[in-house]
Amino acid sequence: MNLYHPHRMRIDEITDETPDTRTFKLTFQEPTVRDAFQFSAGQFGEYSVFGEGESTFCIASPPTRKGYIECSFRGVGKVTQAMRRLGVGDTLGFRGPYGNTFPIDRMKGHSVVFVAGGIALPPVRCVIWNVLDLRSEFKDVTIIYGAKSVSDLVYKRELAEWASRPDVKLWQTVDPGGQTPDWKGEVGLIPKIVEKAAPSGEDAFAVVCGPPVMIKYTLPVLSKLGFADDHIYTTLENRMKCGLGKCGRCNIGQVYVCKDGPVFTLAQIKQLPPEF
Amino acid sequence: MTSTIVSQADLSALVARLVATDTRVIAPVATPQDARRSEYRPIQRFEEAALGGPLPRRSLKEFFLPPSEVLLRYRQRKDGVDLEEVPTTFTPAVILGARPCDAAGVETLDKVMGWGTRDELWFGRREATTIVSLACPGVDSTCFCSAVGLGPDATRGADALLVPLGRASVQASSEVAKELGHMVDGFLSHAQPSADGAAGAGDASAADPEAGVAYLARAVTAKGEALLSGLGKPLADPADVELAEAFARSARERVAQNVAALGLAPNGRLRLETRLGISAADGGELLDPRLRALEQGTGVAVLPEWLARNFDHELWKTLALRCHGCGACAAVCSTCHCFDIVDEHDSYGAGARRRNWDYCQSAKFTAHASGHNPRRSQTERFRQRVIHKFSIYPRRFDAILCTGCGRCARACGAGMNLPEILGRLVQLARTEPTGSDA
Repeated sequence: MNLYHPHRMRIDEITDETPDTRTFKLTFQEPTVRDAFQFSAGQFGEYSVFGEGESTFCIASPPTRKGYIECSFRGVGKVTQAMRRLGVGDTLGFRGPYGNTFPIDRMKGHSVVFVAGGIALPPVRCVIWNVLDLRSEFKDVTIIYGAKSVSDLVYKRELAEWASRPDVKLWQTVDPGGQTPDWKGEVGLIPKIVEKAAPSGEDAFAVVCGPPVMIKYTLPVLSKLGFADDHIYTTLENRMKCGLGKCGRCNIGQVYVCKDGPVFTLAQIKQLPPEF
Repeated sequence: MTSTIVSQADLSALVARLVATDTRVIAPVATPQDARRSEYRPIQRFEEAALGGPLPRRSLKEFFLPPSEVLLRYRQRKDGVDLEEVPTTFTPAVILGARPCDAAGVETLDKVMGWGTRDELWFGRREATTIVSLACPGVDSTCFCSAVGLGPDATRGADALLVPLGRASVQASSEVAKELGHMVDGFLSHAQPSADGAAGAGDASAADPEAGVAYLARAVTAKGEALLSGLGKPLADPADVELAEAFARSARERVAQNVAALGLAPNGRLRLETRLGISAADGGELLDPRLRALEQGTGVAVLPEWLARNFDHELWKTLALRCHGCGACAAVCSTCHCFDIVDEHDSYGAGARRRNWDYCQSAKFTAHASGHNPRRSQTERFRQRVIHKFSIYPRRFDAILCTGCGRCARACGAGMNLPEILGRLVQLARTEPTGSDA
């Protein structure tokens, strides 16, 4: 089997997160592959619809939950729109897992602050559940999540679950104008909410994912709160084809996002040429 | 490794033997449309080849990374999808008369194809293929192989090397090539009418100025040794060594002139007076390795660090203004290897996933589905092409992603000339060693 040959997965469950974002729960069709499959938080895969092509997403479910993986996607391109036409029981191709991982072991014994915007929650959600499934090994867990509007918030059931847990501090926000009359969360852009929540950077790690503009204005706030550059993690989402460091597409200067990433510390990102 | 003298008849017998044992033989062939143009193509008989013809229009990479290659086949069923694997073992092949720059390009690409995960499709073909290089007379004023650490008789990537013993037209073609300069059709090169003007296109001697000459053949690897074993006669006559040395010297001089004109020579000085140190007994290096290092000490060696430090240099803003983003340079390049992966239906519900050549000068190359594009304009895209070849790849894999074949400059419809641009960059690196922002 050559390295571009995918495994077949069956779509077991489909959840509509927002009007344009959908989550698939997937299981490997070959039992031997299913049993042997292992991954770590932060890794990604090449998902494919046969006849349409491949697309790159993170694995959105945590490695602590065995036997299946989940991916969340927005139907914007050829492949993701084809994925929206699939139903439960249909076949999807998968190659992976690829890339590096979030350093869960390094975070153990510390507090973790998660900051995510819009459709960037899936890679963070994988780490959130990984941490929550091993809850006793971490100190405070703070989640700050925002989207343009209430209807753009993904994983709404899980947000409700996190909100009800006493061992999680959840801050939800929507951009001004995105709130509904019964919205109980915050209204305001994420950097403002991070400032308001003011999680301590002492003895803590931050995981930040979102659109470039959100990241740009959130990082200075985290720095002010005392988070060191090498304690702030994010993922870069460059366009990829092979996922294996061969196709020459995802590099930022000398760094191949598919192999050196997708997880980087702020300290590492500051060394990259400004081309992402 | 031993050296032998092989005649055209010996090579003809070799090709016949290989073809009879189901080995693919690929060689430069004069194109049917124009005998002055050449392409690497499968041959059945040695007589179809034009070994000493002009530089083939495309490099050898297509025999290892085909322009469009099936990765798997799929067929949709009512209740699922059937997948069919493609083989990763390949028919044995011999490439006869590879240009040294093209052979080196293939070996350079082994690094990216092998790091982390091994690309079995690439290495399957690599293992099945034996590359016999032919020392190159130096094609025209766009050749700059010695500026990137190679040379017209370099053996990197080759399993064996043939050096022509004599070639009447070398000197004459050199003069013509000088006059031609950077004419768009640089491929005309040395396939010119002979001095009396009698030979024309279609004439066998015009297509192959080496017709009739014998070669000094030297195995470089065990694979090459196996291929050449029993072929030709032992190297006995010192005059043959003289002839091979004369050929190599003349070729090196031609490329050295180009490299000096581009400002890519080490210290800006030519080093022509090298002593050719071939030993008939052991078939050693054509050049004494120490002298080779001196002569080939590359001008571009300053670039990896300088380019990394000068990502935002002013120069990038103007360099790419002429680029159309057509990708011709990448298609003919011996080392450009970027690819796309797409599904193509053959019939309803069935088709193949393919790997197709792609190119970083395309506006869509890095465009995200969201519309965001990290390389928004041709400036960023051209910078990527240059730094990938002369900074990223050398720093990552310890090899320059360029073999100095000059095809990009010959193919460019807008007159972009990478060798000249390299000359400017090297000049800048020498005059602004600490970087523009320092």
